[in-house]
Amino acid sequence: MNAAMRKVFTLKTLISLAAAAAAAITAASAQTIAIMNGRVHTVSGGVIENGDVVIRDGRIMQVGAELAAPAGATVIDASGKVVTPGLFAPLSGIGLVEIGAVLDANDSAPDPGFPLSAGLNAVDAYNPSSVLIPVNRAAGVTRALMTPSAGETMLFGGQAAVIDLSGRANSITRAEAAQRVMMGEAGAGRAGGTRMGAWAVLREYLDEARSYAANPNDYVRRPHETRFALSDLKALGRVVSGDQPLIVSVNSASDIRALIRLKNTYRLNVIIVGASEGWRVAREIAAADIPVIISGMDNLPGRFEDIDATLKNAARLNQAGVKISFYDGAHNTRLIRQHAGNAVAEGLPFDDGLKAITLNPAQMYGLGAQLGSLEAGKIADVVIWDGDPLEVTTKPEAVFINGRPQDLGNRQQMLMQRYRDLSRGDLPHAYRGGE
Amino acid sequence: MRNSGWTAFAVLMLGACSQQQDAESKSADAAAPPENAAAEEAEGAAVRPPLDPYPSTYKAYPGETVLLSGATVLTGTGERIDNGAVLLADGKIAAVGAAGALTVPEGTTTVDAKGKWITPGVIDIHSHLGDYPVPSNDSTADGNEIVAPNTAHVWAEHSVWPQDAGFTRALAGGVTSMQILPGSANLFGGRSVILKNVPSRSVQGMKFPGAAYGLKMACGENPKRVYGLRGGPGTRMGNMAGYRAAWIEAAAYKKKWEDYWKKHEEWAADDSDDKAKTPPEAPTRDLKLETLAGALSGDIVVNMHCYRADEMVQVLDMAKEFGYKVTTFHHAIEAYKVADYLAENNVCAAVWADWWGFKLEAFDTVGENAALVHAQPGGCAIIHSDDALGIQRLNQEAAKAMADGRRIGIDITPEVAINWITSNPAKAMGVLEETGTLEAGKMADVVVWSGNPFSVYAKAEKVYIDGALMYDRSDPTRSPRMDFEIGLHDNGFTGGAGQ
Repeated sequence: MNAAMRKVFTLKTLISLAAAAAAAITAASAQTIAIMNGRVHTVSGGVIENGDVVIRDGRIMQVGAELAAPAGATVIDASGKVVTPGLFAPLSGIGLVEIGAVLDANDSAPDPGFPLSAGLNAVDAYNPSSVLIPVNRAAGVTRALMTPSAGETMLFGGQAAVIDLSGRANSITRAEAAQRVMMGEAGAGRAGGTRMGAWAVLREYLDEARSYAANPNDYVRRPHETRFALSDLKALGRVVSGDQPLIVSVNSASDIRALIRLKNTYRLNVIIVGASEGWRVAREIAAADIPVIISGMDNLPGRFEDIDATLKNAARLNQAGVKISFYDGAHNTRLIRQHAGNAVAEGLPFDDGLKAITLNPAQMYGLGAQLGSLEAGKIADVVIWDGDPLEVTTKPEAVFINGRPQDLGNRQQMLMQRYRDLSRGDLPHAYRGGE
Repeated sequence: MRNSGWTAFAVLMLGACSQQQDAESKSADAAAPPENAAAEEAEGAAVRPPLDPYPSTYKAYPGETVLLSGATVLTGTGERIDNGAVLLADGKIAAVGAAGALTVPEGTTTVDAKGKWITPGVIDIHSHLGDYPVPSNDSTADGNEIVAPNTAHVWAEHSVWPQDAGFTRALAGGVTSMQILPGSANLFGGRSVILKNVPSRSVQGMKFPGAAYGLKMACGENPKRVYGLRGGPGTRMGNMAGYRAAWIEAAAYKKKWEDYWKKHEEWAADDSDDKAKTPPEAPTRDLKLETLAGALSGDIVVNMHCYRADEMVQVLDMAKEFGYKVTTFHHAIEAYKVADYLAENNVCAAVWADWWGFKLEAFDTVGENAALVHAQPGGCAIIHSDDALGIQRLNQEAAKAMADGRRIGIDITPEVAINWITSNPAKAMGVLEETGTLEAGKMADVVVWSGNPFSVYAKAEKVYIDGALMYDRSDPTRSPRMDFEIGLHDNGFTGGAGQ
């Protein structure tokens, strides 16, 4: 391949290219992109210094060193840069909320007393035009589990979906990818004030869901618990069959043990979120094969269920063989990087820190064969960073989702540009930035 | 009280000596009852409200004479010294300079700090530690007196639980001083208190000696949301009307006392035969108005929680209307929109690096906010936490804000960005003469970091407060644990600084 024949793009031109592509809504399926000479963290297969990643038709075609860029490829010189898989947030309100405190801009959780729960489906409320999406995409997040939160009076949040952060209408990767339920103190508060109550209500739901699933057609004619909405029981069918992960909020060691008992009794596919005391029962969690989504920055005994919270939680769980990931709200889902970085500072190996926000979440939701690492054949979610991806001072220079270069512009950047110059000018600031 | 406005007026009128009283209260030990200036006055002397009825009993713990040598030193004055050294002696910074260039007294312990970074102790201008402690529940939530829009009479220090484990975690993040503010539900939240981050049995044992009080006020959504259905204010114009009415009342109250002192002085000087037998009667004290009068006189530092640019401008006009000074806008999400105006008015903007979207007034966050505030001539940027987790890593938050600024071409070096969490908050809290920089003669509040503090991987390894080693990451005996962290699990310890 003659170098002169290649189209070589700098990252800067690539970004404007991405903006143009996004505007034109072209069929990008035929796009071939060769990212050359970066420090490539494959996540699944080690680090390649001066590595290359070739993307074609939305997939990763090749990963290696000294590859030849295919004819007609858009070639990106990534020398001095770091290349990783796109970040995958394992739990986020992204797509369901614009402004937390504005009722008409927040669909993440129902009001107290609303009667439905498990049957709520995040896809129904998903707003791919959400302003949160470009902000988090510009920070390297390419996939997220869009997760409804439980209302104050119900245990279940509803069905979560994996989305990509392209902002496209068809950006649902997997609908009904997981169910969310609150236990521990959060569950007790929704079930009469005790943990006993919370587990009892959860078991009742699961028993009824089993009964419903066994024969939906005559369920209403059989003796059954009438407190539960059919839509909820129907939705829980895939939880009781073990097909769908049930994401359970628990923190204390004793609550985690109770959850392991429940998992074994009902043969559920369980993911823990919270687990502030997870490290105390790390071996039991590992033996039960339960992935855990934690904070990498919370180390306070905020409640009596968090007495043994520590920044070393991640390192210790990982050491015991638990699959871990990190989460952070909705607007700042992007901070999962900082969580991972802090966990690394507290003893988590770097490679495991990066894995925790790429491959591990993909595997948690059954997408490990398609996403989460740089391997030939996988979906091409790729980020080119200007430095160490877990470092707070680092930013992406280019982001690819499904092999398409993404626009890294966003509302925050536009506001900054509008007010960077505060001089009065010929016209007010309200006229600036539209050009 | 170092500042003198309203109280100085009293001093002038009476010839009494508030400085002397202050000096006495500094030396009072923990067992001594709080002073009551009014009670101590001789019969016939003018009454004045006590200046310092809950005086600091903080005393520095013993520290060695220590030379920290070979580190990269960020002084907090904008300087960086590679292969530098800092000498701590008698609780003070004795000298700062190039390694090997300092004159070191006999018996000095030398700490090899090669590869380390040294900065002034981190200062958080916006914390609720102690007022919203852990464990967090109805029993402990003492930070927001949500009963009326004006609660200028409450003092944050009266809610501070010194056993909050959050203090220990902040210490492990390098925090040596902080301002504890009341919450933001009210137009006037109450008085703040400035603490040194040294555990004590009482809040008095943590109080920063001689630091002025602050007043917490809040703009925007919070007051109108909380009081909209509880008698108001229910709008932003209601907020403004509420502040203004209070300032009018406070000005009258201030005048009433000043008139009284003047009359009393005239009475005392009166040597005529028809001199009244009894001195003029003093006004009745009003705690709310006392705090507001202190703010009007400049004795009390005004801290204004304000997200929106337009509201900041309104507030600055109001400050002119009533003749007081706003020192800092907190949570100033939109400071970048009026950064020029803030700099011209000599107001600091205390901001987060990247929080956004939790309410509409927090929608317009930009990562470059601190940098754009800083870039104005005379601009004063501060990174604050408002959060028991954020306070543990203000260095990382400053790093993000610095990096975002550099990306748009604003030249901010680590030796400048460190000011955002050290000297700038110290200045805004009125304690810059005592701490906030590494300069000879100042309190030896110093952090030794494992590396560049603008990295996610850097850890505070040693934290000195007034020269005493209060935290050492490698020494469990130099890591405080609060009472709440004892015996909860298997008769062992839980948590502690650095956990």
